[in-house]
Amino acid sequence: MTASPSLSSSLRRAAGADQTGAAAVIAVADLRRTFSAGRRRNRRTIEAVRGVTFTVEPGERLAFIGPNGAGKSTSIKMLTGLLRPSAGTVRVLGLEPWSERRALSRRIGTLFGQRSLLWGELPARTSLATLGAIHGIDRSGLGRRIDELGELLEATHLFDQAVRTLSLGQRMRCELAAALLHRPQLLFLDEPTIGLDLLAKQRFREVLVRLNTEHGTTVFLTSHDVADVEHVAARAVIVNHGTVIHDSPVAALRRNLLTAKRIEVGLARALTVPEARAALGPDIGPVTPLGSAPGRGEEAPVDGIAIDVDTRRQAIGEVLDRVLQRLAVADVSVADPPLETVIGEIYARPAATPAAGPGPHAGGAP
Amino acid sequence: MTASTITAPGRADHARDLGAAYARVAHAAARATRAQPAALAHTGIHYLIVAVAISSLWTRAASGHGGTIVGYRADALVWYLAATEVTAIAPPLRLIDRLGADVATGRFELELLRPAPAVWIRVAAELGTAMPRTAVCTALGAGLALGVGGAPASLAALALAGPALLFGVALTVVAQHLLAAASFWLRDSRASWFLYQKLQFTLGGLVLPLEVLPGGMGRVARFTPFAAMSYAPGRLASGHLEPGWLLAQIGWLAVLGLVTARVFAAGERHLGGGEP
Repeated sequence: MTASPSLSSSLRRAAGADQTGAAAVIAVADLRRTFSAGRRRNRRTIEAVRGVTFTVEPGERLAFIGPNGAGKSTSIKMLTGLLRPSAGTVRVLGLEPWSERRALSRRIGTLFGQRSLLWGELPARTSLATLGAIHGIDRSGLGRRIDELGELLEATHLFDQAVRTLSLGQRMRCELAAALLHRPQLLFLDEPTIGLDLLAKQRFREVLVRLNTEHGTTVFLTSHDVADVEHVAARAVIVNHGTVIHDSPVAALRRNLLTAKRIEVGLARALTVPEARAALGPDIGPVTPLGSAPGRGEEAPVDGIAIDVDTRRQAIGEVLDRVLQRLAVADVSVADPPLETVIGEIYARPAATPAAGPGPHAGGAP
Repeated sequence: MTASTITAPGRADHARDLGAAYARVAHAAARATRAQPAALAHTGIHYLIVAVAISSLWTRAASGHGGTIVGYRADALVWYLAATEVTAIAPPLRLIDRLGADVATGRFELELLRPAPAVWIRVAAELGTAMPRTAVCTALGAGLALGVGGAPASLAALALAGPALLFGVALTVVAQHLLAAASFWLRDSRASWFLYQKLQFTLGGLVLPLEVLPGGMGRVARFTPFAAMSYAPGRLASGHLEPGWLLAQIGWLAVLGLVTARVFAAGERHLGGGEP
């Protein structure tokens, strides 16, 4: 496995130390992975990951995001040792994941979507005790650890129920307990909130932040949900077509790219779109009907409207205040733009724009 | 609570920890099986239907041949079939298909992110699942054989049939894992299950004692792992005091265990993209 000479500083970091001398938790330099596809005559090489470089420092909360096929899952498999890189250097907690996977598994926790590692027929506590035995945790320490996790995740009462009887949100808390059982220094989460309802998502995100701030666990998160990134991560690395296209603190991302919000309002009393616009004021963003019959135009009363807000021009709270004060509201929700929109925005910006350029940790840009 | 790690144990400690972990996994799987009494009853009924049908067939055939077939009296045949069928029905069914599906869906990959060999964790879980089922089938089989066949011909041989049944079930589980490893390379490994089932039926003496097989086939079959799986407990239960079968079972367990470990290691490397 080799890397180009121009990446020498990244490689120094990949060797395990940054400029301050502290060991990076993850150090990746010029990481590449290719796959062969097709039969003999039509065989072609697919580059799933094309020269990804970044480091993660201890205690960081990093979101590694991108659309389907961007190379996130392939990257996370290489970081955990499930997949051998075609080229480049990877060090996770000072270990080479592919050749030292079992040693690494003692120091990392993993949670992959909704794939369960617990026995459905048994209480979660039994599954946790069994997984603890696999990790070599002694019985007395294990009991204490399960109790600690029950408290941390507010899941003590769930541990005594058969896993198959739990809701998805409850089960995910038990799965997280399983991932944390052996006190990992680094937690990999691949789409952990997929399928959860809003409340369960919110609780799950809060737990991840607490875990990081109170216990120092480094969090490496992949997600399609922009809200996961906003509420959990402090830094975002965005990948697309196998390369890092953006690396910055989430605050900068929010300021520069996550500026579009959509407020969806269910109306208690039907209004036409011009009436709604007039009520909200001339400086409000674009208002469109929700669920109107096609072809009826703006003059037909509707039961719901959507308001697109550019948060650089107008605070979301201010628009919400106006909505609640001036309209008869039955229901209201605020939605983030899909990740694809954020990525489109990155490509649309000039390369010199700070938000679109690689952040302080990145080495690989398109 | 701090973000400290659990340090890697030494080699001896690690082996002891692994042994304890496998025991815990097997115990948990056995508990999960016991937690489903309906499924356990279903296994028992399945076993009884098969054992009663085949033993009726053979006792009828034996009575038409002066009470003996290929050296087995009718009552010995009932004991034989009651024991061999346990090794076919007690282990979790379609294990090969399930492992193939887990490899295809990526679930198996997750098991590689544990500090213990995934294959032995799986074998321990399947053995744990098989134990309550083995207990149920063995109890039903003993009742059937006592009721239909009468007292066993040799209590000493029957005593050896107990451990032979356990080794037979263990061999079945390990052999199925070995064949299931084809799913690392093949998209559809269901043919492996079909092949395994047919081999166990014929070379294992499941529906007919190996002595019935034509020509040298029966003699060859005795040297295959399938005979150690199913024929061995049947042979002992039918009153043949041949303790060498236990040694053959242990030998085959060691060989199949070693080959399975090697094949899984190769399969895991293949999943991860192979050698450089």
